[in-house]
Amino acid sequence: MGTANHGVFSLPPPIDISLENLAEFPEGRRVLTCIQCGTCAGTCPYGELMQYPPRRIIGMLRAGELEKVFTSDSLLNCVACYACTAKCPRGIDLTGVLLPLVKEQVLLRLPEMPAELQRALENKLRYGNPMGESPRKRAAWVKTAGVPVRILHEDPRPVDVLWFVECYSSYYPRGQQCARATAKVFHALGVDFAILGNEEKCAGECGRLSWERGLYNTLMEYNMLVLGKYQFKLIVTSCPHAYDAFRYRYTALRFNYDLRHTIPFLTQYLDRLKPRLRRKVSYKVTYHDSCCLGRHSSVYEEPRMLLQAIPGGKLVEMTHNRVNTICCGGGGGGMWLDTYYKAKGYERLSERRVKEAVATGADVLAVACPYEISRFEDALKVLGYEKKMIVRDIVELLAEAMEV
Amino acid sequence: MPEPKDTGSGGIGVYVCHCGTNIAGTVDVNALTEYAATLPGVTVARNYKYACSTPGQELIKRDIHELNLTRVVVAACSPCLHEKTFRNVTSEGGLNPYYFHMVNLREHDSWVHTDKKAATEKGKDLIRAAVRRVRLHRPLERKRVSIDPNVLIVGGGIAGIHAALTLANAGKHVYLVERDATIGGHMAMFDKTFPTLDCAACILTPKMTAVKSHPNITLWTLSEVTQVDGYVGNYKITVKRKPRYVLEDACVGCMECIDACVYKQAKVPDEFNMYLGKRKPIYIPFPQAVPQVVVIDRESCIEFKSGKCKKTCVEVCADRKAIDFQQQEKTETIDVGTIILATGFFTFNATRIPYYGYGTYPNVYTGLEVERLVNAAGPTSGEIILRDNRKPKAVGIVHCVGSRDENTNRYCSRVCCMYSLKLAHLIKEKTDAEVFNFYIDMRTPGKGFEEFYNRVAEEGTHFIRGRVADIYPDPAGDGHLLMCAEDTLMGTVRKIPVDMVVLSTGLEPQPDAQEVRRRFHLSCSGEGFFLERHPKLAPVSTFTDGIFLAGCCQGPKDIPDTVAQAGAAAAEALALIDIGYIEQEPYTAQVLEEVCSGCKTCIPLCPYQAISFVEEKKKAEINEVLCKGCGTCVASCPSGSIQQNLFEDEEIFEEVEGLLAYA
Repeated sequence: MGTANHGVFSLPPPIDISLENLAEFPEGRRVLTCIQCGTCAGTCPYGELMQYPPRRIIGMLRAGELEKVFTSDSLLNCVACYACTAKCPRGIDLTGVLLPLVKEQVLLRLPEMPAELQRALENKLRYGNPMGESPRKRAAWVKTAGVPVRILHEDPRPVDVLWFVECYSSYYPRGQQCARATAKVFHALGVDFAILGNEEKCAGECGRLSWERGLYNTLMEYNMLVLGKYQFKLIVTSCPHAYDAFRYRYTALRFNYDLRHTIPFLTQYLDRLKPRLRRKVSYKVTYHDSCCLGRHSSVYEEPRMLLQAIPGGKLVEMTHNRVNTICCGGGGGGMWLDTYYKAKGYERLSERRVKEAVATGADVLAVACPYEISRFEDALKVLGYEKKMIVRDIVELLAEAMEV
Repeated sequence: MPEPKDTGSGGIGVYVCHCGTNIAGTVDVNALTEYAATLPGVTVARNYKYACSTPGQELIKRDIHELNLTRVVVAACSPCLHEKTFRNVTSEGGLNPYYFHMVNLREHDSWVHTDKKAATEKGKDLIRAAVRRVRLHRPLERKRVSIDPNVLIVGGGIAGIHAALTLANAGKHVYLVERDATIGGHMAMFDKTFPTLDCAACILTPKMTAVKSHPNITLWTLSEVTQVDGYVGNYKITVKRKPRYVLEDACVGCMECIDACVYKQAKVPDEFNMYLGKRKPIYIPFPQAVPQVVVIDRESCIEFKSGKCKKTCVEVCADRKAIDFQQQEKTETIDVGTIILATGFFTFNATRIPYYGYGTYPNVYTGLEVERLVNAAGPTSGEIILRDNRKPKAVGIVHCVGSRDENTNRYCSRVCCMYSLKLAHLIKEKTDAEVFNFYIDMRTPGKGFEEFYNRVAEEGTHFIRGRVADIYPDPAGDGHLLMCAEDTLMGTVRKIPVDMVVLSTGLEPQPDAQEVRRRFHLSCSGEGFFLERHPKLAPVSTFTDGIFLAGCCQGPKDIPDTVAQAGAAAAEALALIDIGYIEQEPYTAQVLEEVCSGCKTCIPLCPYQAISFVEEKKKAEINEVLCKGCGTCVASCPSGSIQQNLFEDEEIFEEVEGLLAYA
């Protein structure tokens, strides 16, 4: 869509890059072009708190003193939000390349892994989801979907759209509501779709950005095997993190399926959608750009097009939007570091974000990432704004307006 | 008829140059010389430390005389550097200069290889090829083309003005073509100039007036070059002159019409003041505009919109009868010998960096807007009053906006550090505000520049070494903008509340630079500025003979550099005009009429429009003067009926065979 091409990296970073062989890759040599301008630290949502923001990390790397960075836990504040990467005037892929490599070393040297994060990563390995829910219940929500949802291992005929549901939409109650809404909207639009059901496992993106290389590779290999069993034309996923993993990482394992996130996918159906958006609403809505979908893949206009198609809805913008969005705090493992941050006395990013959302005077905070619903609903409660504003996935708002 | 060819009964001299160690360090020059001496037709082969030196040249000349040489081969550096030198040597020795061929032993061999043995073998191949081809060389003559003394200068900024005055003062006639209603360009918009703080208008307007009154300058404003035909010395230029709706000769510049306009209040956003002020539909861009003639904007003039205006402007103009609503666009054709392009630059569109808030937050300005704000003739009469009518108490200046950034422009715009310092000084002088300059690297390389930086620092301007990462309204809601940056020297992230933000936007090529490039047959460098012939040794020449560059159309530069370059461009044009002719290389192509089938394939392919079709004969014909010897037609001719001097089929085949024949 017609948005600025800020900080978009269309090529996946090399899979075998390491801190030792940086200079062998163009992405690594680019790190050496850093002009120490501090844009990364200035834009980082936790920049003020970091002992070693990306600028200093590069300085230490050049000076051969990275060991000092490894023994500081400041990089645990990195929520992999791509803000530094998008604005870096040298085009250094900090979030994609350098920071995960350093973070891996930091985690290795941590005297103790933050328990919540440790548990989430273990759960992913054991159960294929960070909550530790049973893999056999992954498709349980389908029974209450209200519309038929085909599960491929039960009915493996070729299908147009393979919908990769992901963990939060499969297990988490508010996520399941989104999943049901998505199924209904697909059904109403006549989309031929199916899901992997209990065969699906977390795509693993958050594992990579918190740099659990082994875990990530295990999940990646597993999912590629399962996808290889079926015939479909397109993968659609509602999770920007899975989208990110498929688009930028799975390609290393020859993932070359046609891929869309639900929002741009539905925008293709806008003409068919519009006449069905019958219910007139009267709310004011503001949209939170997800880091992976927005900043990393430049999907800025499609979510707004869908929101503006809902009759009566008024779209207002937050101070920080599009490339300048503020992370909900859930990326890069941040989803499971809330307790850790709280113990350190840091402001929660989700709270910073909802303050901006409330300041717009909107009643609805629209999102396109399953992480954000729980984070923002929680933040609204903590700040006492739960009566002022509700959080809805865009697909939920569409389903409501379609009366499906 | 072509002369009979020498089939190589002898008389070839081969000279292998060491180029110090540039060649001799990687190639065994003795082995090459010994080898060359064994080649058929070679009378003498020598090597020499620097063939291009005077003794080296004398050596070749002496051999031509004493050994009756008929052909010369020099194996040295690139022909770009010394082909001319050795052609002259050949000529001075008494041979036709084209009885010479050069082997590029340095760039094509020694500089690109490390294996000495293999490089020596390659050198042998190259020399063998040259020896075989040079035997077939024919004598060729350079042609002289006369130079029309008139000069076209495109663009009436300080570069165009300075070049025009230099040439006009030397007695040459100049056509100065300017797109806007006045000359003066960006410099006329500036308040002061760094580092001396001269008032821009005070130093510029006398030169503008001189342009208008100079008998040797024809000034055409509101005009654009639409077509360029011809070649060096003999360009034919088509100029489109847009209507001003005011007769330049009749208007006396009294401006009574502006007062009399039915619009009592100025309502149209004023371009010259960066839209910060208003003007009327009939206006003069600024008080010292040249020509001192009003102009009517047909977009906002009621007469043009409805045809029902009272035309109070015409009434008050009375007998002078200067206003002409019927004026039409005109096309003029002029003949010139040389052209200077001084089309200037475009300022970076700051909305392309959304997180700096330009266009979103009213108190975010660009540097050029602030130039108008601090100018006494500007929209606020020189007082810094913000869009919300406040006077700023704290001001942040962001360097490198749209420069040194992979997401926008990669290059440094060269002038922003200095103009940011200047604006810091002017803002402080006018408002006594706290001024914060956010910079990445402070670049003050110029006479008096570092001293100026020092002065601004002493005045108490704050310098923060860090690129601004975010600008947004203070959530505390007191109307401040927060400027967020890491102070990299202190190692802390700072959020500075300010009332006003100044974005020091960089310089970009004009939006239509590509069109202009094509019209004038130029090249552009990667970032889109016009490309000079050589970055060091031909900085104002282009790859098209007779067309020169001046000012920011070639790349960002400040006023002193622009003026120096404009002077240089004028001198280059003068050099051509004063000698009166230019010698052209004879590498032109000819059509062999008896073979040409008249298929016309070559005609649209010629980049220089040098080929025409002769109806009576049904054959193609090449204009020797226009032909640049690119060889496109030769390669494209299906019947092989086009031959090019010095690149004849036989010569090329002989060279290829020589190259591939194993010794």
